[in-house]
Amino acid sequence: MNKIWENIFKLRQKAVDEIDAILLKIPVFQDLNKRELKKIKRILHQREYSSNEIIFKEGDIGLGMYIILAGEVQIVCGPDNHVLAELCRGDFFGELSLLDDAPRSAAALAKLPSVTLCFFKPELIDLISRDPQLGCKILFRLAWVIGERLKSTNEQLKKISCLREQDPLSA
Amino acid sequence: MRISGNSTSHLRVVLILISIAGFIAFLTYIPDIVKLVIISILLAYILDPFANFLESRGMSRPTATVLIFIAIVFAVILAYMSVLPLFAAQISGLQAGFSPDRAGFVISRFEDFLMPYLSFLGIKELNLMGRTQGAMAGAGDWVLNHVLDAASLVTSMILIPFIVFFLLKDGREFKRAFVSLVPNRYFEFTLYLFHKLNAQVGNYLRGQLIDATIVGTMAVFGLWVIGVKYFFLIGIFAGLANLIPYFGPIAGAVLALLVSILQTGGLDKVLYVILAFTIIKLLDDAIIQPVVVARSVHMHPLTVLLAVLIGGKLFGILGMLLTVPLVGFLKVVVHESILNYRRYRTA
Repeated sequence: MNKIWENIFKLRQKAVDEIDAILLKIPVFQDLNKRELKKIKRILHQREYSSNEIIFKEGDIGLGMYIILAGEVQIVCGPDNHVLAELCRGDFFGELSLLDDAPRSAAALAKLPSVTLCFFKPELIDLISRDPQLGCKILFRLAWVIGERLKSTNEQLKKISCLREQDPLSA
Repeated sequence: MRISGNSTSHLRVVLILISIAGFIAFLTYIPDIVKLVIISILLAYILDPFANFLESRGMSRPTATVLIFIAIVFAVILAYMSVLPLFAAQISGLQAGFSPDRAGFVISRFEDFLMPYLSFLGIKELNLMGRTQGAMAGAGDWVLNHVLDAASLVTSMILIPFIVFFLLKDGREFKRAFVSLVPNRYFEFTLYLFHKLNAQVGNYLRGQLIDATIVGTMAVFGLWVIGVKYFFLIGIFAGLANLIPYFGPIAGAVLALLVSILQTGGLDKVLYVILAFTIIKLLDDAIIQPVVVARSVHMHPLTVLLAVLIGGKLFGILGMLLTVPLVGFLKVVVHESILNYRRYRTA
């Protein structure tokens, strides 16, 4: 009997450890210690989506970011659902909406049955007011992620402008 | 037989509506419990910012909740030692009635004035003195029976703190559990709505409470300065009645006027009482409400009247006082839901 309980406990512990491991790989949560991670987990919402189910629509008010625990998610845009990206376990999307109220620029669609963790702006704001130190850590990392994205965009723009200079027709 | 998708969704809406109606019908069978839960939710909303503040100082939510409750216990003990004797004395004074000689003189004069105008109705005797004494004693009895009734007081004093404690400590978990039941399609919108409602409803309820406290304190002070008997009881009533727009402030003033007339046996203090309540009303409208009540909920006088009548019918005098804030709360909920749904969908 004890063996059964031990195994159930181990399975549960394993699932929790897996969530911890995935969260710690997300740049936004990388600086957090165990206690802070526990606080974050308390405000995350776990959702399950069947294949081809819409996670959010293009044009909806952006409310927060999603972290993929299992499955595959497509980021699509336009009326013909043009695929912009395909994301899998450990990837995250929608982090910009933690900072602004702008409508979603693309839709998210579960390509396969998927499980996500959702981290939302209202809860981030609430967390900042309750635990400013932790809130600062997250905002700092969020700024870093957005900075990295800006650097990468600049790099791409540089490449495009270089290509244009070298061969205006091919660019 | 094949059921189309549209029929299924209509069937679902009908089933949801029937469930809601059934649930409301069930609640009307347990008005006492509903009353306790409503009071607890209102109190939890009011105390939430204090718990958040303590959390921002590094405390855990359970510790913050316990600390708030310790502070409340101290406040209650302090009130018990300082205010309750005064409160009890005034209630027993109210029960015993007024100086019969002077009050009798005023009332008999008023009766003499009225009788010629009422003779065509076949009324020979009004017995206003007896009726007034009876009403005042009845009011005292009501306070004793309903507010200070030992059994209900003990039940409320145990159950309300118990419910408030868990709402305050585990409110976020309750919210998360509720949101987890919402289908994926409405999940983001529900969270968005929760966030918006939380801010609006919290501001409204806290604003109303602060407003009622300030008005009540001013009324107690004003009536004490004028020298009106039972100033403490009338002041508290005026503060609570202020929760009811339009009729509330008048009800407080009328009670104070009645007491002052019966107390002095003349109109000596009437002008001062009217002046005091006018100043309080002006201050409330010009300064307190704009500052304290972040967003006032405008209600039509007919809505207020119906709310007061329904509240009185369902939950007695306490219901009359609580229904208007409750209707205000529901109005904020419905208004914000529709507004944010439109905003959310048209973004």
